[in-house]
Amino acid sequence: MAASPSRGEVLSLFRSFLRTARGFSDYNVREYTKRRAIDAFRHNKDLSEPSQVSAAFADGKSQLEIAKRQAIVYSLYAPEIKSVMELKH
Amino acid sequence: MAARNALLKYLRVNVHPLQSSIQNPKGFVGGPFSHFLRRRNFSEEVRGSFLDKSEVTDRVISVVKNFQKVEPSKVTPDAHFQNDLGLDSLDTVEIVMALEEEFGFEIPDNEADKINSINLAVDFIASHPQAK
Repeated sequence: MAASPSRGEVLSLFRSFLRTARGFSDYNVREYTKRRAIDAFRHNKDLSEPSQVSAAFADGKSQLEIAKRQAIVYSLYAPEIKSVMELKH
Repeated sequence: MAARNALLKYLRVNVHPLQSSIQNPKGFVGGPFSHFLRRRNFSEEVRGSFLDKSEVTDRVISVVKNFQKVEPSKVTPDAHFQNDLGLDSLDTVEIVMALEEEFGFEIPDNEADKINSINLAVDFIASHPQAK
């Protein structure tokens, strides 16, 4: 198994998630992806066992690939009307 | 070789003289000069301009105050995210991302890692030409 990731690598993965989340055209999916990433990183923030940290990091990387792919797929089926939450007051 | 020549011939772009220089033969303004002006505008747009520091400070503070976990009364222009506002490194990443959205430009990872207080955020954004 790979060496456990550094603090910087984890934060960089987190940042990549938030950037990818922005790419979703649908408000609900965009907010969900962001919320899910924040919750997952928070959930795992106290992991200390190197093997657990590595496993969580590897899982995060594969989830990020899925999110990136889905952002592209979803952009092909972007909703025609915006969510009411996106209207500027 | 023949195929290559045929292809090149097909791809060749025909050069037409500029329409404006024909219609306006003595026009200094319509000639190469306007081209120069246009290009200048374009470069200006790409280069952007610097924002006023006090405006940046106000906007950064309002972004931080809007962050869920922050006690708005604790937010001062000198506040440190971790020491004064009780945020952790994940929160800091979230705040920097929120600042990117507010100012409409991307902060590279190595710069984003350094931003851990309101002062540093303001300095970086005010010195960044693409912030708007």
